[in-house]
Amino acid sequence: MMNLQFMLFILINGLSQGMVLFIIASGLSLVFGVLRVINFAHGSLYMIGAFLAFSLSSLFAGKTLFAFLMLMLLVPPAVAVLGLGLEVSLFRRIYRKEHLLQLLLTYSLVLILDGLTRIIWGGQIRNVPRPEILAGSLDLFGLFFPSYNLFLLIMGPLIAAGLWTLLYRSRAGNYIRAAVTYPEMLGALGVNVPGVMTATFMLGCFLAGLGGVFMSALANIDLSIGMERIIECFAVVVIGGLGSVGGALLGSLIIGVGVAFIQIYFSRMALVFPYVIMALVLIIRPWGLFGKPER
Amino acid sequence: MPSALESYPSTHRSWLIAGTVMAVLTILPFVLGQLGRTGEYWLWVATEMVIMALFSLSLNLILGFGGMVSFGHAAFFGVGAYTVALLMKKGGVGFVPAMAAAPLVSALAAGVIGWFCVRRVGLYFSILTLAFGQLIFMITLQLYGYTGGDDGIHGIPRPVLLTPLSYYLVCLALVAGSYLLMRFLTKSPFGLTIRMTRENPERAKFLGINVKGYQLVNFIIAGGFAGLAGGLFTELNRFAQTEFLHWSKSAEPIFASLVGGMYSLIGPAIGSTVLIFLKIIIQQIHQGLVEIWGIILGVILLGVVLFMPEGIVGVYEKIRARRRRPQ
Amino acid sequence: MKKMALRLFGIAAVIIAVMGIVPAEQVRAEEVIKIGWIADMGGIGASFYKSQKEGIEMFIEETNASGGFMGKKLELVIRDSDLKADVGANLARELILNEKCEYLIGPTSSAVALAATKVAKEFKKVIFFHTSNTEKLTTTDFHPYMFQVVPNTGIEGRGIAYFLAQKPYKNYGYIGLDYAYGHDQHDAFKESLLKGNPNAKIVAEVWPKTDEKNYGSYIPTLMAQNPEVIYSSLWGGALSTFIKQAIPYGLFKKTTLSSLYDLDMLRAMGQEMPENLMGYTRCPFYAVNTPQMKVFVDKYHQKFKEWPADWAIMAYDGLLVLKKAVDTAGSTDSEKVSKALDGLKWTSLRGERYIRAEDHMANVGIYVGVSAKDSRYKDFLILKDVVEVPAEKVWMSVDEIKALRAKNPQ
Repeated sequence: MMNLQFMLFILINGLSQGMVLFIIASGLSLVFGVLRVINFAHGSLYMIGAFLAFSLSSLFAGKTLFAFLMLMLLVPPAVAVLGLGLEVSLFRRIYRKEHLLQLLLTYSLVLILDGLTRIIWGGQIRNVPRPEILAGSLDLFGLFFPSYNLFLLIMGPLIAAGLWTLLYRSRAGNYIRAAVTYPEMLGALGVNVPGVMTATFMLGCFLAGLGGVFMSALANIDLSIGMERIIECFAVVVIGGLGSVGGALLGSLIIGVGVAFIQIYFSRMALVFPYVIMALVLIIRPWGLFGKPER
Repeated sequence: MPSALESYPSTHRSWLIAGTVMAVLTILPFVLGQLGRTGEYWLWVATEMVIMALFSLSLNLILGFGGMVSFGHAAFFGVGAYTVALLMKKGGVGFVPAMAAAPLVSALAAGVIGWFCVRRVGLYFSILTLAFGQLIFMITLQLYGYTGGDDGIHGIPRPVLLTPLSYYLVCLALVAGSYLLMRFLTKSPFGLTIRMTRENPERAKFLGINVKGYQLVNFIIAGGFAGLAGGLFTELNRFAQTEFLHWSKSAEPIFASLVGGMYSLIGPAIGSTVLIFLKIIIQQIHQGLVEIWGIILGVILLGVVLFMPEGIVGVYEKIRARRRRPQ
Repeated sequence: MKKMALRLFGIAAVIIAVMGIVPAEQVRAEEVIKIGWIADMGGIGASFYKSQKEGIEMFIEETNASGGFMGKKLELVIRDSDLKADVGANLARELILNEKCEYLIGPTSSAVALAATKVAKEFKKVIFFHTSNTEKLTTTDFHPYMFQVVPNTGIEGRGIAYFLAQKPYKNYGYIGLDYAYGHDQHDAFKESLLKGNPNAKIVAEVWPKTDEKNYGSYIPTLMAQNPEVIYSSLWGGALSTFIKQAIPYGLFKKTTLSSLYDLDMLRAMGQEMPENLMGYTRCPFYAVNTPQMKVFVDKYHQKFKEWPADWAIMAYDGLLVLKKAVDTAGSTDSEKVSKALDGLKWTSLRGERYIRAEDHMANVGIYVGVSAKDSRYKDFLILKDVVEVPAEKVWMSVDEIKALRAKNPQ
């Protein structure tokens, strides 16, 4: 069990798992970075994305790659539009309020969104079939490797690169980054700060929806997936550094790969691993691996 | 955050109110006793409310009073619960020593966890408490040989003297005593120092005050009271369950403080009582609401955030202030 | 001052209104029998809830149409425990004391069930369990007011082991979630397997965490030891996720997977479910050939436009027991009904069954078969060549139960 092939195998599995985690957690991190709101409802938005993917996939009824790409193109914007509604109607009112009130707001949204999801989609376990071309496996080093996981390994860095380009090579990205570091200055320069915040929130929701699409074909989905994932995402965000997308990537990979290996050698520790790492990081380097110390 | 020290008003009037409330709460079970089985149920709920009020009050020592948001307070509630469960069920210890041990063991746990946590401020403190809380939850879940895992520990002995009525009175007395202790504490030099660490930690440090030390002691005291609440809750239900340690249990007193008003000593207790009542009554009002109680509760909480962010006590103070003002 | 008086008046009005609900219902209590159901509606409980509700509502409708219990109409009161044990205990109290329910229907979660059964015991009201199946309910935590119509963890784990032990397999793998249910199943399975087939060996064991969504590390770990059969105590969404992820690894080319293939899980997998997996289920509508089941299935399908899941059937079956017990006792009183339960024989949808007097466990076995496509059911696979492992072959003997109870006094 110790041979190199097997280790590589686990490594690739951990990396692909980390990619999905990254897509969800980066949204959470961005929203925190700009809006300073810990969005508990992020998990619910991710769940809604997964259920939307289910509905659309039964609509397309095909297991083609094209159908799956359509899910990737249609679901995240839909969740982003939902985010737009939430931001304009609710979140906007509480940015200046206390953190705790914001927490209560996002928690009440969890209750409402989860309840609505149950009304709309029912409680059954749902399955989104993988596209035919990704359903099988590739023979790597004499071991079968699921194509879908490899697909995630390609998509993850692509999305990370896309995010990086958006944040570091576009004007909108400049504003978003400026809003993280110097929110007061941004307003003074005549930038529409509320607009930047809305856009960031939508981007966060977009990522939650995208994570939902990827997850829906990886595992079956039910009403518990939102709550299940949100704390793990916190761990990722904290480890990487609050508000840092690069940190979220690193955090996701640490959790993804770490859990994959711990499952093999100390499987009973897998459950506590994210919390141990989170606690260690907070004790040793509280601003996270990629974050900056709070001013 | 209000910076004024008078956020904990103390007047003769408030003693009068406190006395009246205590009197009502003491008479309550005898009134409920006249209502037959329905009364028996509401007495049970009242006991739960009294215990959970203590849990919320204990958190507020750190939250409203100390200005530090703990996301892991259920850890101490749960440790108290499991202490009582293990001692009484497996150790054969009696009710009184077990109940005395609960706050002590919880305080010990709070000492260890707090030692790490108070070194962090703001959000980092919050998340570190969350991490420790979840760690204890996971460990309890996995040590199923001792803790019964997610099945929990059931069948905790009930001393013959403890009828529903006497247990309610015991809880009420303990919680009222705890409340008085907390009140005393907040007004003591220790309390004033804690308040200074909340308002102006830099200044406190310059004055040579060991800020972290004070915060740690406050954290330990809060953990101890939470442990007592956990122990009482376990004896009420006659079981301890991993759910008691879960982060969603930590969220309950935070929301109770927000709904009730976290800048008054009694606010969290009111908020906790209101939330428990809402959760119960929404399902009872109409059969059609049972499946959507979560949505209704969510909408109510949303209303609190948007329209009464200072909580119930805040609204009350506002009304009183308005009335005092000459028209 | 006037305002204050008005406010006081308002508060008093609310209190009176709340209290007022109660006497109004006491009048009606004479005409109806209330059954309280502590349901688990949220999270992973949601899919069970839907089926259970359909089964229960169908029973109540039918029974009321034919005169109810001893001439009294049945009324169902539902509460959501949200999978939380303390909430479940509170609701059980509320249903008995406030709603004046004479019987309780149990939840989905075993933790909630263990809490609720204590309340039923305290107030001496009959409660039955149709989905939550921890063996503790009928052994250490037993009381005479409860009964169980779902094969418990022991019957499941030992039943499938009993079945597999007769096969020539030697190398076994095990995967189960790292919590009480997973460990109970594992222990029951292992002990029984080695008893039936001393040559058998469990060559690989893996324990994923309870909310695992990625089995990518466990699958190759199991495969590395080349087991011929993997027994899994995963269920529902966790099981279908495991199967979905294991397919591309080619696990099912060499190995069969023995697990709980209930209808909800099979429906979730749809046509992606691999064929030829040897598994079991608690109550398959398609494989039980009693006339009662046929009538039930036809009616259910007509009414709800879908096939009844195991959960619907067992909830319905539990109510059949209750009805028989009421008829036998000649009274709707829980005390008398509980006495009638001892050794009660009833015509289950699964055939003639009885409630064992000592532990109120129904002699319900598990149904073992092999996954296969069936032209009648387009959306899901079923088990074919189904045989029942009778409960009598695998359930705990009365002596074993007594020894267990002596060791764990309540």
